[in-house]
Amino acid sequence: MKRYAYYMSCINESMTKEVDRSIDFWQKDLGLEFVKLHEGTCCGGSNLDYVSPKHFALVNARNIALAEKMGLDLIVSCNTCLMTIRTAKKKLDETPALKKEVNDILKKEGLEYRGTSEVRHLLWVLVDDVGLDAIKAKVTVPLKNYRIAPFYGCHILRPSKVLGRDNPLAPSSLDQLIEALGGQTIPFEHKNRCCGFHTLLVAEEESLNVAAEALEEAITLKADFIVTPCPLCHTVLDGYQAKALKQAHIDSSIPVFHISEMVGLALGYTAKQLGIKRHIVC
Amino acid sequence: MTETIDQHQEGKRDVTFRVFRFNPQVDSKPYFDDYTISAERGITVLRSLNYIKEHVDATLSFRAFCQAGICGSCGMRVNGISKLACTSQVWDELDKCREPGIIRVEPLRSLPMIKDLIVDMDPLVDKMTRYSNWVDSTMPLAEMGKKEFLISEEEFQQYDKATDCILCASCVSECSILRANKEYVSPAVLLKSYRMNVDSRDGIHDIRLAELVKDHGVWDCTHCYRCQESCVKSIPIMEAIHAIREDALESRGPRDTSGAKHAEAFMEDIEKKGKLVEATLPIRTNGVVWTLRNLLPMAMKMIVKRRTPPPPPLVKSAKGIKVFRAMFREMTEHVKQDHLKSQKK
Repeated sequence: MKRYAYYMSCINESMTKEVDRSIDFWQKDLGLEFVKLHEGTCCGGSNLDYVSPKHFALVNARNIALAEKMGLDLIVSCNTCLMTIRTAKKKLDETPALKKEVNDILKKEGLEYRGTSEVRHLLWVLVDDVGLDAIKAKVTVPLKNYRIAPFYGCHILRPSKVLGRDNPLAPSSLDQLIEALGGQTIPFEHKNRCCGFHTLLVAEEESLNVAAEALEEAITLKADFIVTPCPLCHTVLDGYQAKALKQAHIDSSIPVFHISEMVGLALGYTAKQLGIKRHIVC
Repeated sequence: MTETIDQHQEGKRDVTFRVFRFNPQVDSKPYFDDYTISAERGITVLRSLNYIKEHVDATLSFRAFCQAGICGSCGMRVNGISKLACTSQVWDELDKCREPGIIRVEPLRSLPMIKDLIVDMDPLVDKMTRYSNWVDSTMPLAEMGKKEFLISEEEFQQYDKATDCILCASCVSECSILRANKEYVSPAVLLKSYRMNVDSRDGIHDIRLAELVKDHGVWDCTHCYRCQESCVKSIPIMEAIHAIREDALESRGPRDTSGAKHAEAFMEDIEKKGKLVEATLPIRTNGVVWTLRNLLPMAMKMIVKRRTPPPPPLVKSAKGIKVFRAMFREMTEHVKQDHLKSQKK
């Protein structure tokens, strides 16, 4: 059994509860054990870093230190949380004075940020740690009849100096996962583009235009569904889909799955168990 | 070993350039022309285009000047990515072709087309004017040219990287929001604005910032990092955008715009609960009226699907919130001390 500390993203505890729920179904099947970090706090969602760079460092040093205390790597299932916590880690590792300042405060809780735990995405754990062959061996319901559009999202790819797992111009990990599960990945131009999530409340029209472009391509390519490793991308592409397509005068729809649901389906769990019925577009 | 020798021996090969063509005076719509030339290893995309223009098709139009990655004239999309043709090696591009051996060359996006690979840079220049992308010197006119206007090494470090921008517009072409709305300020202009706003010799910081926080300004950036990733000078453009936001929050306060309110909400929620209170985020960002008008129909669907975020009292605080809050507040004291120190300076 491979053990990891599991970071609980705010959105997965509120709007996209199906992510954590579906992981709970299959983690043991793939020899994984995710220890949930109930003490973890919001990473700052790609905003705290400029609102207050020092609070940003403190909060995320603590999130990582909680995993370090258990001697485990920190696994994240939201792209923005991943990018944000990795950005903080890079900053802490490169700035000894900041690390010391933060650690002096963390002492209060008996914590210390050392920089020993890696911060990684769930997708990377599946592809790199479990391995494609091991996943293939566990598939009971291959997704062989499905044409799947992989939508990576931004913060699992860019900035590449912080992420570094996939080539941001030609990412492949999600395509590999789809194929390991027996699905057919389609050449999707928008695979490494943006969903528009981070400006939904500030520049909604622009955000929806951004989302509509990706949705339109997937619909045109006759994909059966889009799959994304990010619950924020999912919220736009599923939750705001009707609004985005209406704005772009497109009369159609397409389901959007989380990677955790796609894995669950291929391992034999039902759409109902995995929470797919909770999506706005089913 | 054999592979190395083969690679070494392959010093020349036929390469096809599939080039975007459009002359608005003649063509009803754009099309592509294929030019196959014998290219040597080490040759750049720009040299190939020059060869095509000189020997194959003199009607092909593109901009170029220095041929050394300095002037920024030859920004274009090569195999779909905005970059300089003069610093792009044909051999490197061959590895990135979707169709083997065919390099696609297209004009930059999000700027009006003039002809073939030439785009109109005027909208970008107009935005640089609107956002005052120059240092408006605080030195009295009478003293100009008579004495030096020095800045400290420490200050220069703040915008050293930003001054590397050569206005090639690759970031403009890659920007997600500009694609969605041509009115958006654009990354290059935000970068320049940041560079001018941290310059101690400049006297219009507040005026420039007031323009930057308006609609289509700094708060409309959606953090996609495409600008930074495509920058031919590896300038951390997002850091500059974040720095303008940090400055806006500090200089104009957290209640200034919806963007500022949205950002500040993260700080408030983390201190209070350690978790984001998503249910009230739209109201705190845009007020009740906007929220009801824009989100009510979707909220109804979400209620049916039980996807609505829990109301504030039901958002569980992170475990150990009391100690966390004390540490958070201790850091607030550190930040206050930092401000006092920098003000004394």
